[in-house]
This record gives sequence, structure tokens and C-alpha cells, in this order.
Amino acid sequence: MKTIFLSFLLLLLNMSLLSIPVSAEPDDSGIKRFSISGNIRDQKTGEELIGATIYIREIKTGTTTNVYGFYSISLPVGRYSLLYSYIGYTSVEKIIDLKENTTINLELISREQQLKEVVITGEKAGENIRKPEMSVVKMDIKTINRIPALMGEVDIIKAIQMLPGVQSTSEGSSGFSVRGGAPDQNLILLDEAIVYNASHLLGFFSVFNNDAIKDVTLYKGDIPASSGGRLSSLLDIRMKDGNQKKLSATGGIGTISSRLTIEGPLEKDRTAFLVAGRRTYVDIFLPFAKNKDIRDNILYFYDLNAKINHRIDDRNRIFLSGYFGRDVFSNDFARMSLGNQTGTFRWNHLFSQRLFSNFTIIQSSYDYRLGTPEGNANSFIWKSRLQNQSAKADFTWYATPGNTVRVGAIATFHTFDPGNAKGTGSESLFTEYKLPRNYAMEYGVYASNEQQVTQKLMVKYGLRFSAFQNIGPGTIYNYNENYEVIDSVVVSRSKVLNTYTSLEPRLGINYVISKSASVKASYSATTQYIHLAQNSTAGTPLDLWFPSSQNVKPQKANQFAIGYFRNFKDNLLEASAEVYYKSMTDVIDFKDNAELLLNPELEGELRTGKGTAYGLELLVRKNDGKLNGWVSYTLSSTTRKVAEINNGKSYRAPYDKPHNISIVLNYELSERMLISANWVYATGAPVTFPTGRAVVGNVILPIYSDRNAYRLPDYHRLDLAFTLKSKIKENRRWQGEWNFSVYNAYARKNAWSINFEQDVDNPMRTYAVKTYLFSIIPAITYNFKF
Amino acid sequence: MNFKYIKYGMGLFLLTLFLASCTEKIDIELDESYTRLVVEGAITTDTMAHTISLNTTTSYYYEEPAPGVTNAVVTLNDGESTITLSETSPGRYQTPADYFGIPGRTYKLGIRLNSPLNGEDTYTAESTMNLPAPLDSIRAVYHEDWGTEGFYEIKCYVLDPLTTDYYQFKVLKNNTMLTDSLNKVLITDDRFYNGNYTNGIGVGYLNQAFEAEKVAPGDQLTIQSSRISETFFRFVTELQIQSGFQTPLFSGPPANVQGNISGGAIGYFTTYPVNYTSTTVTDAK
Repeated sequence: MKTIFLSFLLLLLNMSLLSIPVSAEPDDSGIKRFSISGNIRDQKTGEELIGATIYIREIKTGTTTNVYGFYSISLPVGRYSLLYSYIGYTSVEKIIDLKENTTINLELISREQQLKEVVITGEKAGENIRKPEMSVVKMDIKTINRIPALMGEVDIIKAIQMLPGVQSTSEGSSGFSVRGGAPDQNLILLDEAIVYNASHLLGFFSVFNNDAIKDVTLYKGDIPASSGGRLSSLLDIRMKDGNQKKLSATGGIGTISSRLTIEGPLEKDRTAFLVAGRRTYVDIFLPFAKNKDIRDNILYFYDLNAKINHRIDDRNRIFLSGYFGRDVFSNDFARMSLGNQTGTFRWNHLFSQRLFSNFTIIQSSYDYRLGTPEGNANSFIWKSRLQNQSAKADFTWYATPGNTVRVGAIATFHTFDPGNAKGTGSESLFTEYKLPRNYAMEYGVYASNEQQVTQKLMVKYGLRFSAFQNIGPGTIYNYNENYEVIDSVVVSRSKVLNTYTSLEPRLGINYVISKSASVKASYSATTQYIHLAQNSTAGTPLDLWFPSSQNVKPQKANQFAIGYFRNFKDNLLEASAEVYYKSMTDVIDFKDNAELLLNPELEGELRTGKGTAYGLELLVRKNDGKLNGWVSYTLSSTTRKVAEINNGKSYRAPYDKPHNISIVLNYELSERMLISANWVYATGAPVTFPTGRAVVGNVILPIYSDRNAYRLPDYHRLDLAFTLKSKIKENRRWQGEWNFSVYNAYARKNAWSINFEQDVDNPMRTYAVKTYLFSIIPAITYNFKF
Repeated sequence: MNFKYIKYGMGLFLLTLFLASCTEKIDIELDESYTRLVVEGAITTDTMAHTISLNTTTSYYYEEPAPGVTNAVVTLNDGESTITLSETSPGRYQTPADYFGIPGRTYKLGIRLNSPLNGEDTYTAESTMNLPAPLDSIRAVYHEDWGTEGFYEIKCYVLDPLTTDYYQFKVLKNNTMLTDSLNKVLITDDRFYNGNYTNGIGVGYLNQAFEAEKVAPGDQLTIQSSRISETFFRFVTELQIQSGFQTPLFSGPPANVQGNISGGAIGYFTTYPVNYTSTTVTDAK
């Protein structure tokens, strides 16, 4: 443990030392190069724009801004024409004579403010054609805001579920499966901090308040070498930094919740803050409910996002951000409270104009407590908590226009407190029941390069080395081949109990066929060391994560993908077709009738095996114009093969839905009116049904088919929304908009679950009953900005 | 700690949110798998004719009671002697009426079918009878605010021993067994209160919305308590899960319930001592 930690520190040090800035480096041919660098921001708010492009006409290539809005490119002395552009913003062209290192900070103007259509330049290739990145979808918050939402609650995760290759785990759930993976195989980062459970109210709403979010990027396979620790995907969510220009507020009053975000400068263009809150108020109406059981319930959730950033000077900037959210629920029988907390401190430092670095300290946790009211023999409280602290350093070296090198390292300390239950009050008969805590360290070190090999060929290659160590104090259980505990050993503090390491190569190739077409291929290897003990498809809030250990091997995946990207109408229309194949080893499933909660011998309930997923994803996307949106189709298959499950025969993974269609369309009727519609279709989720029955103890006991041999009926749903904006007046700061939405517009009764029930009159007669959650659900939301 | 509470609580949580959630009948075509033997039997300390029933599995939508397996030879060995049970009605094999189980003994059940089912004609099972677990006392408490018509909760008072134990509780009203199916049986382990005084934990619930469970002053309520085997505890736990309502939120993948009968038969053979503790309801609610 110590040696790994030391080498990790040394590595960090090395990277800092090696990168002593050199103002102008002659390249191989002896020509002097200078760099152009800077930040690109939104003119109105001063928010950094992520992924804005800088295209240099003379060399027909360019770069993009990183997640902090920073870009850098080094070029030989000369005269250049630079085109700065960003979707939804007016492009700006700058002509410069490059004789020395130059800083160009630029503020782009949002096209919404300009009110006139802007000619789209046809000269440069679209970013999606040019970048060696595939299986990535970036969504800006404006797009997400327009998608009709359940109960009017605009939701990032629900928007993600409309993308090709992404499935929702069950109706209305915030859980999602990427390319056949399990929901715990998605790394969800909010300002780089892990969000363990992204859902509120049993998953029907996600924890992300869209007013506080700037950018959402989903990596479905080609995960950058800088990230790791999960098998299937990376969902990278960035909070807004706060308005640098003026104090402003955004908010909304909705059917189930209200939101308010206040942001503004503490010192103009140097220090800005953002505070965003959201709370539901279903509980306010509960006292009016007719049913007494419902009336006495308490039920709400809230979120709080806060961020502050300060520009110390041109080379140093710091950010402090955090999230705190909680669900609270109680009735006569049970009380429950749960939530995530994250905190991130970041320091951006420019060693030189070509060497960008970021240092991060992260803390995040998820906890829940569950219990009954006091005063009874069976009063109890049960707590569980999971947390991690990380330190991270990332460096980007803009070496030449054709090479961008990234190196970095991360160390994470995990604490698992799987459960601790005890009686409450003097009446309770329960003694304290405590599961042993677990501790682990996780390390990652990576290096990657994005290289323009020729005008047409670009490659991105990287290597990530990851390591995982279980650390004492802890209790190790030894199991026999029947998964029964034979003995257990308690080990002392700081002792390394077990170490796993893994090399994870990542490769991306892009061959540009023409200005509007390219072929891409990628390979990525991923390793996952911590896992979620979840046996149901939608998942409960009682999340229990557990580490790999001597008994549980890390899950590993290898994914290959190849895709064809083609743009039409001067990049207005982006189309892509990708095929992927993913093989996974040591994927985790659970034995029949597994007991996962408050079970010290949880590892004995696991069964591991192989997983395979492959598919085809088609996407056509139009980002601009009166009519915009996308259409996606996914054809996929995902199966698992685990020796002790389903008699060792391969079976469908829980999220195997072969056909999946999403259509998301927005149409601007006028400057003030917008209609949006989305339609989703998915093959019914796999289920296990009885193929026989036995009558035992006057109970009809089902005898089941092979696992997941049947399917629920196909799922489809249409949602509609209409947005009416207030009149735009020059001198009025207040901007309001009404949003009317209808979820499940044609009221399809989509099966959430199918159960088999006994007839009341003849208990020997059984029939199938489906439960559906939502019929048509209208909602009204009023959003405002000032 | 009873997880059923939690599920009930969370179920309400869900209900609160989705008053709109509905159910409706749906036609689902099901395949039919092969026929297996179903065994069911419990030997207790009560003196009575104990029954072992033998049935077969059927298709899921079969509308009749399960067909009995006739003309089988069913034997019961208590470690000292072996008796052969007599078939009193099709598929029901009974001990003599003066038969009772003895705690501490291991019982072996042997079944030989007249004609094999799914290629098997011989089945065995065994179970060791635990020592009795009498209760000190019970008390019935009315909770007006539970459910629509209120509930009677039967609280039990007893010191749990230091061993790992599994208990089963059944409810009788005026000597009539109300717990008439394995779904209604209350079972628990002592994981969370091992060695403690139970202090009035609930072991039986009578829903006053149901005619059969209605309690009037003067009624005698009885708890039949048993210390059951771990095998039987797991069997009932799984049975209650698999025959209960399943949702994507809480339920794992459906799975077959593991019994303790050899030869691929379904069901259980168990033994347990029974103790009866009564209380008389005095006041009207």
C-alpha cells in the first residue's frame, strides 16, 4: 500500500517537474512555434463554454475547449484566420499575425439573443466528423429543457435515456443501462465527484437540478483514459460556474416541485457564485387526501447545489462546488431518509500556455437510514453509508497542433459501512447488529495522446493503469465451493489484504473520408472494482455497494466499436451508424432468492460469469433551425452466462430490449411558441414467468421458466409539451415562460410488472395481472429568469 | 426486525406517489413444463393423525385442486421404528390418530410411487424436531389507526435463548386456526434480538376488515408457537416471496423455491414442536 502510494506521489511530482514551461519550442524542422490560447465564454453570463471549436483555416485543423473552457494550439510563426464556434452561438472569425505566444479570450454571443438566423459556415468539417471520438453524446441543457418530462420535471437522466444505446431500467426510473450494462456500471460524475445514487423518490426523478447544470456528456464505450472504475459508461455532468457578469436568478414553479437558482459575480469577471435549490411539495397536499394512511405520510425531497469560483490571476483559478440532496419519507410504520453529498475543490493552473493542469480534491457519499417510530418492541433504526475521498491531478499538454497529450493520476479512499441496525427507545428488544466496515484504496494513472497523423487520419491512444487494494481493519470471510462461510478472520488496521491491478488500453481511430463523412473505430478496456448489490431491475434506494475482495474479482470489459459518420446540408444534419461488441468477465449476478441486505455473508450470495453485448445504433440529429431534435434506433442483444444460474445456460440480461426507438422533436412555431414531442418504443423487458405450479400449504407456488425466457408487452409512449415565452422587451429583465406538458399522451397502459393472482371466488383459478404506473399525466410549469 | 414492515412502509410510499397506478387483467400465454411430485407434510407434538400429502404439479392456469398421487407407499421413521402411512383420501397419507412427534428425534420420510414421475419413483426427506419454545404470555392490543377497520396485534413475552433460533407463529381464534395457509404464517429469526426478552413484539395480526378475523369481547385468542428448523424457515421465506406481489423495485428475479425432498420433488417435509398460549379479549376494542 505504501509503495503504491509513494510511487503515485512521485509520479505526480515528476509530471509537475517535467513540464517546466518553455516559451517557444522549435519543432523537429527548427521552425519556431508559438501558442494561441485562452478561454471561450458566453458573452452574457461569462460561463465557460465546453467543447467550443477553434478552427484554423490555413492548416485545416483545430482544437476544442476543454471542460474549463480552455484551449491552446501551437503554430509556426505566420498569419492565421481562426474561426471560433459553438452550437447555438454566433461564430467569430479572428485574423492574427502570430509572432509570440498569444492569449485570445473570447466571448461568444448566444444566437437566441440575436434573434436572427445566422448563415452556417460550410467550410469546416463538423466536429463529429473530425474528432476521433465515438460513442459519445453531448447534450446541452437547452436541449434537455425542451424535452417533455414526467410531471413537468425536466430531467437529465430521462433525456439520456432517449439516446441510442441507452435503456431505462424500468418505467420512470432514473436507472439506466448503457449498451447492455448494469446500472451500477455507469460512472456518474457531478463536477468530478461520484454520485452513487442519482435518483429521488424511488427513481422517478433524478438528483440533478437542470438549472444548476451546464453540460452533460455521456461516453458509451470510448471512455477517455482519464476515467475509469466502471464498466459501461461515463456520464460527466458539469455544474454551471456562476454568472460572471451580473446577479441573476432562474427558477420554476412546477406541479410537484419548485426551483430557484441565484448566481452572480462577487467581483466582476473574477469571482462568481451559484446557489441552486429545489424542493418538492407533494406533502403539502397530503393532508387533503381522503385515505387516512396517505394523509399521515411525510414525503419530500430537496436538492442544494452550490458553487463558487475565483480567478486568482490569468494562470490560476479555483472552484469549490458541492451538492447535497435528501429524500425524506415517513408514515406510521416506517421512516426513511436518504441522499447523496458531494464536494469538489479544484485548482486550474497553467504551467504555460501549452500546459494546462487541474488538481482536484473530492469527497462524496451516499447514506440512508431506515427505521420505525420509537416506543415499540420492534422499534429500530438501520443506517448504511458509503463514502470516498479522492485526490486527482490532470495535465494536458498541447504539444503541437497534431498532438495533445494528457497524463494524470487519481487516488481514492473508499469506506463502506454496509449496515448497522439497532433498537431505538427503551421498549425495543433489538440489540445492535453491525456489519463490519470495509476500506479500500483505488488508484488510476493514465497517459494518452490525441494525434493528427495525416490530414485525414487522427488517432487517440491511451493507457490507464488501475489498482485496487482492500485495507484493514476488516473481516475476511472464507468460503467453500458451496459458497458457505467456513471461517472468518479479523485483520488489523492499515494492513493490505488483497491487491488487484489492471491495464486498460483505450484506442480511437478516425479516418476522414470527406468534409462530411468519416469512419471511426475504437477499443476500450475497463475494470470495475466496486459493485452494487442490487437484485431488482429498477432498484430500491437501499443501495449497498461492496468492494472487490479476495472472494470477488473485479469486473472487466472489452469493447470494440466501429462507426460511420456522415453530415448533410452543411453539417446541419448529423447522422451516424455504430456497431459495438462488448464482452465482460466476472460480471455479478445473484443466486436464486438471494439475501442482500444486512447480510454479513453477502459475498456468498454472488454468482459471477460472463456477459456479452452487441448492437447497432443509428442516430440522425439536427441541432439547429426551427425544427430540431433527433431520431435514434438501437438494435441490440445482451446476455449473461453464469454457472450456477439458469442451470448454466446463457440467459437474457435484465436490460435486453432488442429494438429501441426514440424520436425527440422540437418545432419553433414563432419566437414565443415552441412545441416538443417525443416518442419512445422499446421491446418489452425480459421476465421470468411460471410454466407450472404446485399447491403447497394452500398456496399456489409458481414453478418458473428459464430465467428471463418471456418478455413484458412492448413499451411505447408519446409525450408532448408546449412552451409559451413571455414577450421579449428590451428593458425588461424578467423573462417568463409557461410550459404545458403531457406525459403518455395516448394513455398507453405500459406494463410495469406482471403478477399472477388467485381468483377470489375460485382460489384454484389463476390469471395474469399487469400493473401500470402512469396513464396520461398533464403538468404545468412556470419558469422564470431575471 | 421484520422486513415485511419495511416493505409495507415502502409500498405505502409508492402508493402515495402513484395514486394513478392501476392493475388490469391481461392474457399471457404460458408454456407448460414437465410434471413433478409435490410433497407436503409436517409432524408436530400434537397427538393427531398427521398428514403427508402427495400431489403433482400442473400447468399454471389449471383450474382445479392439484391432482393427488395415489397408491404410493409412504413410510415414516422416527429413529426407533418405522410406520407406513395409510391413504385416507386420494393423495393424503395419514399416521394413526394417536401419533405425536417427540422433540430431539430425527424423522425420515420415505416415498415410493406406484409409477415414476419424471423418471423418479423414490423420494426421501428428513427433519429433526427442535425443542419446544413456549411463550410466557401474550396480550392482544387494538390499533385503531392501522388499515381501514383497525388491527388486533398479538404481542408476545418470552426470553429468547442464546442459540440461533427460527420461530413460527400461527393464530387461533376460539380454537379455530386462522392461519390456514403458509402465506399467512409469521416466521422470524432471532438475528436482531438473540438472547433478549421479546418485550411484546407482535407475532400475530388480525385485520378487522376481514370477517373471519373480527374479534369480539370474550373471544379467546391463541398463538401456536414453534421453534422450526432453518431449512423450513428458508422454505417458507422463499415461498412467501415467490407467491407474493412482485415489483421491479423490490423483487429479485423470480426463482424456484428450494424444498428438502430428494429426487427433484417440490415441497417440504418438516417437524416442529407446538405450544399454545392464550389470552381472552376483555374490552370492546
